[in-house]
Amino acid sequence: MRKMSIRVVAGAVFLGASAALAAAQPASEVRIVLPEQPANLEPCGTIITNVGQILSQNVVEPLTVIDPTSGQPQPRLATEWSQVDPNTWHLKLRDSVKFHDGTDLNAEAVVFSIERMTGGKVTCSNIAKFGDAKLTVTAVDDRTVEIKSDKPQPILPTLLSVVMVVSPKTPADKAVNDPIGTGPYKLTTFSPQTVVLEAFDGYWGEDPDITKATYVWRSESSIRAAMVETGEADLTPSIAIQDANNPQTDFAYLNSETTAIRIDTDFAPLNDVRIRKALNLAIDWEGLAQLFGDDVKRASQMVVPGINGHNSEFEPWAYDPEQAKALIAEARAAGVPVDTEIELIGRNGIYPNGAEAMEAMMAMWQEAGLNVKLTMLDVADWLRYLQKPFPEGRGPNLLQMMHDNNKGDAAFTVPIFYHSNGSYSTLHDPALDQEVDAAMAATGEDRTAKFKALFAKVRNDVVADIPMFHMIGYTRVGPRLDWKPDITTNSEIPLANIALKD
Amino acid sequence: MLSYLGRRSFHSLVSVLGLLTLVFFLTRLTGDPSALYLPLDSSIEARTAFARLNGLDQPIYWQFLQYLKDLLDLDFGQSLRQNRSAMEVALEAFPQTLKLAFVAMTLSTLLAVLVGSLAAARPGSRFDRIASIVSLGGASAPDFWIAIVGILIFAVGFELLPTSGTGGFAYWVMPVFVLMLRPFGLLVQVVRGTMLSALASPYIRTAHAKGMARRKIIFGHALRNSLLPVITVAGDLATGLINGAVVVETIFGWPGIGKLMIDSIIQRDFAVVQSTILVTAIAIFVLNIAIDLLYAALDPRIRY
Repeated sequence: MRKMSIRVVAGAVFLGASAALAAAQPASEVRIVLPEQPANLEPCGTIITNVGQILSQNVVEPLTVIDPTSGQPQPRLATEWSQVDPNTWHLKLRDSVKFHDGTDLNAEAVVFSIERMTGGKVTCSNIAKFGDAKLTVTAVDDRTVEIKSDKPQPILPTLLSVVMVVSPKTPADKAVNDPIGTGPYKLTTFSPQTVVLEAFDGYWGEDPDITKATYVWRSESSIRAAMVETGEADLTPSIAIQDANNPQTDFAYLNSETTAIRIDTDFAPLNDVRIRKALNLAIDWEGLAQLFGDDVKRASQMVVPGINGHNSEFEPWAYDPEQAKALIAEARAAGVPVDTEIELIGRNGIYPNGAEAMEAMMAMWQEAGLNVKLTMLDVADWLRYLQKPFPEGRGPNLLQMMHDNNKGDAAFTVPIFYHSNGSYSTLHDPALDQEVDAAMAATGEDRTAKFKALFAKVRNDVVADIPMFHMIGYTRVGPRLDWKPDITTNSEIPLANIALKD
Repeated sequence: MLSYLGRRSFHSLVSVLGLLTLVFFLTRLTGDPSALYLPLDSSIEARTAFARLNGLDQPIYWQFLQYLKDLLDLDFGQSLRQNRSAMEVALEAFPQTLKLAFVAMTLSTLLAVLVGSLAAARPGSRFDRIASIVSLGGASAPDFWIAIVGILIFAVGFELLPTSGTGGFAYWVMPVFVLMLRPFGLLVQVVRGTMLSALASPYIRTAHAKGMARRKIIFGHALRNSLLPVITVAGDLATGLINGAVVVETIFGWPGIGKLMIDSIIQRDFAVVQSTILVTAIAIFVLNIAIDLLYAALDPRIRY
């Protein structure tokens, strides 16, 4: 009898728990599970993945948005723009837009938002996209803003996609966790367990299907996938390849990240172009791709297709071990010290299977006849090799890296990697510098052509790096939602773009 | 007793100050936070401004003096990651860990005492053998594996429990079970060993000869005399849990202090690292004093 009672109680407890779990949330509410807790919700940090995926285009809106297909800026809070002279732009603002606190959007609010970004009193990640440009912003009239820069800004409308406009009542001298923007959702809860956004009645655009979004976070990919599978969550933007096993719910997408090896051209034998070509030719790229899944795309350059300046007219380097060996022999005969030890510097955890990829590449280069030794570093040590000033006493080295450009233009890649002043660059080529400067100052089709030419030159003549793969992300989307990820998913998930099935 | 508490508290205070000093300098050895907080392509000016804004441009001895001065004002600094008071962040996470640790330790200790005592009462019996196998398995099973398998079976397979998160009773079942396993396994072994020794003592034989009830002999006499080593081991295990059950917190999305501490170390959020260590250190000192007092309560020979 007693055993019977225990079973009945245990059964009741589990049934109760199951019933509570099965209680469905209202149809228009969604639950999104992210890989990481957002450290903060400062709108000046929306280029940080876990901040941007919650805030960008949901709570705060930028002046422009980048079209994920064409890479061109499209209107958002700014409806039109014109370049008055190379250093000056005028923006026209959208009418009838209100902040969540009831304040009207006007030119003064935009001036406030940009000055808050550039003022130096708030740690602002987004401002990094402007480099060292000094901006002066003034309100021409209630709906017109003038932005002057100390240097020409031909892609200012593209850069404005990281300018999140906030209410003038936002503190200008400290970071906030309760952003007030103009987006279709307002922030209602931010706790250690959850972030909740609810639809904003006064939004200027169309009412979205989703009325409420709850964000939670779990660092284990298998748990995130399980949460969508069991209906505890409706969407998770990032799962590991081994968890993406359901074709009905799991979508692969090109995620704007490109993996590569930077070649330090300051030292022999890496200062010889034959060796740099041999490094590219000695890798069995098909074999290496198996580490990253079937959907991964071989890279020929450091930006993905769709970014202005991407050149699709040339192919990635092919695997040709015989030619690699021949080039090394030719260099040796010409007196290049090809036996010098080359340090391959990897970064722990840079991307899944990153260490295995470095070990495989080292073995292939050794097979080709180069003396390559692998050193794996943690992020802080690795950063010393990535950015100038580089560590004193370093020798010939190859650096594992991953570059993310989802901002629509090669300007966020080329000067950093290939200009003598670029913070990651080991090149010192005045002629190349002039070409980079010219591309950066150009506009329209001329700009696109100049960047394409630069990528071709860097690949064929300079051979500055070893592009590896354009990376693939995997997203699990529950059966209630009609939504697919794209190149912007790593930086934002606009809830207004998510439709409900039935 | 009061003088003992005073002495112990003073020693604890000195230890905490020493610990905080060590942590302050060790965290600074991990490197410059601006490398992690600013985008890779940030300018040198931006990095300099970040360091100035957060007081990281000052010499390290000056930063330490400033930290001590702020401590006297009960100002524990600002979290670089979360834009708010570091102590607020630590105190928000700590109760979550404490609740989980309390429930898991209480249940595992009670269960282990019961199972260990019964196993020792009939050494070599089927119950004893099963208890030994289960407790050894519990003590040696990797908790992350148990947690993942538990989720696959009970959340994904049978849909009886939630995969993770916090909330009502259902959300506690798997985290508590996973957290209980190791302490339960170890404590069963300890209880069984000390009980076997106690049950072989002359005073137990005397009790049997007097015709005392078996249950009273086991739980009233032998167990009481066996508890001191159990308390020592349980205290040690509890200390580990108070420091944070990182694996359980990570897998089940439990917002406790262990995961916070690890995240803060990785992200070089110095003020939060210092605050979490201060909070857990104080809790561990309080726990140790409580254990000392429990010794005295259980063993009349111990007096402070």
